[in-house]
Amino acid sequence: MVEVRLEGVSKRFGRVVAVDNVSIVFEDGRFTVLLGPSGSGKSTILYLVAGVYKPSSGRIFFGDRDVTNLPPKERNVGLVFQNYALYPHMTVYENIAFPLRLRGEDEAAIDRKVHEVARLLHIEELLDRRPGQLSGGQQQRVALARALVKEPDVLLLDEPLSNLDALLRLTIRGELKKLQQKLGITAIHVTHDQAEAMSMADKIVVIDRGRVQQEGPPLEVYERPRNLFVATFIGSPPANTLPATVEHRDGYPLIRVAGSLYRPGERHAAKIREAGLDRVVVAFRPEHARLAEHPPEGEDLAFEAEVYLVEPLGRENIVTLEAAGMPVKVVTPPEERPSGRLYVVVPRERVLLFEPETGLSLDHL
Amino acid sequence: MALRLRLRRGGPAGEAAGADVETLERRRLNLVLGLAVGLGLAPVLYLYLLLVLSSFSNTMLTSLPLPGSGVELTLRNWEMLFRGQVAPAAGKIYTTRDIVLIILNTLVVALGVTAVVVAASVMAGYAFSRLRFRWRRGLMEFIILLHAFPGVALIIAVYAVYVWSLGPVRELLGRDSLAAYSVFYTVLARASLEIPMSIWLMKGFFDRIPWEVEWSALIDGASRFTVWRRILLPQVKPGIAALAIFAFLAGWEDLIYVRVFLYPQVKTLATFIEESVAGLETAYLPVVAAAGTLYLIPTIVFFIATQRLLLEAMSGGVKG
Repeated sequence: MVEVRLEGVSKRFGRVVAVDNVSIVFEDGRFTVLLGPSGSGKSTILYLVAGVYKPSSGRIFFGDRDVTNLPPKERNVGLVFQNYALYPHMTVYENIAFPLRLRGEDEAAIDRKVHEVARLLHIEELLDRRPGQLSGGQQQRVALARALVKEPDVLLLDEPLSNLDALLRLTIRGELKKLQQKLGITAIHVTHDQAEAMSMADKIVVIDRGRVQQEGPPLEVYERPRNLFVATFIGSPPANTLPATVEHRDGYPLIRVAGSLYRPGERHAAKIREAGLDRVVVAFRPEHARLAEHPPEGEDLAFEAEVYLVEPLGRENIVTLEAAGMPVKVVTPPEERPSGRLYVVVPRERVLLFEPETGLSLDHL
Repeated sequence: MALRLRLRRGGPAGEAAGADVETLERRRLNLVLGLAVGLGLAPVLYLYLLLVLSSFSNTMLTSLPLPGSGVELTLRNWEMLFRGQVAPAAGKIYTTRDIVLIILNTLVVALGVTAVVVAASVMAGYAFSRLRFRWRRGLMEFIILLHAFPGVALIIAVYAVYVWSLGPVRELLGRDSLAAYSVFYTVLARASLEIPMSIWLMKGFFDRIPWEVEWSALIDGASRFTVWRRILLPQVKPGIAALAIFAFLAGWEDLIYVRVFLYPQVKTLATFIEESVAGLETAYLPVVAAAGTLYLIPTIVFFIATQRLLLEAMSGGVKG
């Protein structure tokens, strides 16, 4: 068990910068998820930790040990690949035993450890088969067993669930998290699936274009996104974003969004004045808004919109509205079937404001 | 293509109730193709059949032996062949040749070529597939260019090198070793003709193994060499088998290189048959037919036994 630290790590492939000056701490015994769209550099970060790639600059530490220039085999990590990368010519038993054999452990110890990990992952009855005869879920377990059998300091998971069907993914998601807690192992999990990240992570690190966009506990990342990318990447459906202009009345900035005026709080107002902004982006999560027939009392954000589409999902409805030519999504209870012109109402504390040029949240400015 | 289009269009009209349209068309197409290929092959197959039958009869056959044509079926030719009696003057005066030794010589050349080709192309194929080095692309294109040269076109240069090398070899190893050296040189020269294509074939097989498998083994603690030997090689076995068969047959069948480089007293089946046919007026051809049949056997056996493997190698293995 060990803490993994990246300090100013960059990785270039020719002229392409895949990872750009990234510093992350993966805490000892915690489950950290690297979340980002494909091509964001998240898998590259994982391979840098594994030692498959060498960083172009920066240093990587396992605890106090500088592993930057160590080959993979001296890092004691277990890696589960998206396509599992099982050795097709070996039986499941031999697959799992392979890392132990390379270490030169004796046959009795190998046999004991293979059976132990097979029991842990419920694949004992598969030990004599070959990978080609297994289902996707079974292959995934074997890959996990092979990664765990050498008792690694760090468990690396490269989208291990994305090749499974949706139902199995939900089951294994839970199992994987429980297993990690039971073993108390430092785990780094790469995924592009924000729901998977939210449900499994102790800490989420959002990556885009090779840089860390935000890191923190899942709820914090969800509720207080640091920039527009994080706000629109996380959440299903993601946060609504509306461009807005700033109007000054008696020296106080008001925000005109979708035809309505919104009076931001003191803190936001101060930021707007400070940065001299004349435009902002207003954002809010679909489940934080409600629909009303009449404009509400008080100072919540409210604007008029026309219902465009209602998608009933059973547990909830996703209502798409059109406000000043912009689509807005709102999640409503299933019994509500809104239609016509309505008011979209967002409580003040749920309104997120972003600087339009950099996409940064005003709270982080 | 035109054939397929015509069949497609004709399909729905003649469609039997409940039959899968596509299967029906495929079956018809296969039938037509099968007939066409069969028809095209008929004369060739007929000649080979005559060769095989001649080896079992008292005279060279030019048509199928009908009853009453005076043709006797006999095993005598094969007996003579294995006793080494190649008989001019219709089996009366014998020239003796040790046929077992000739078969052994052929095997030595064929297996030698196989070993050299497999060793070289398995290693080079891995390098071209997995390692990044200067001139990689250029070298690969150069290799395919080499493959385009027929062996005959290169033979003068290869012969010149051979002649130059003879002097030093004679000084270093002595005159008696020259026959062995000629075998060695023949094997190398013949193998070099097979190697370019084999490298490409092996590269294709290595390309099909995902990088992740290799990385996984590296993370499990293997060295690059261990990965190659224990993880990659077992997975490219079909490719190795395919190119080993190609190489073996190339060595087994070769006439030109064997004829040019091997010491004249070292005979292989190819040069033996050539020699026997050369004295056509005096040759006893049914025995030569038996030798020819013997010479054909590996080709037939290998292709029948490994049809599917070879098809896979040719269709899946070779790609940029």
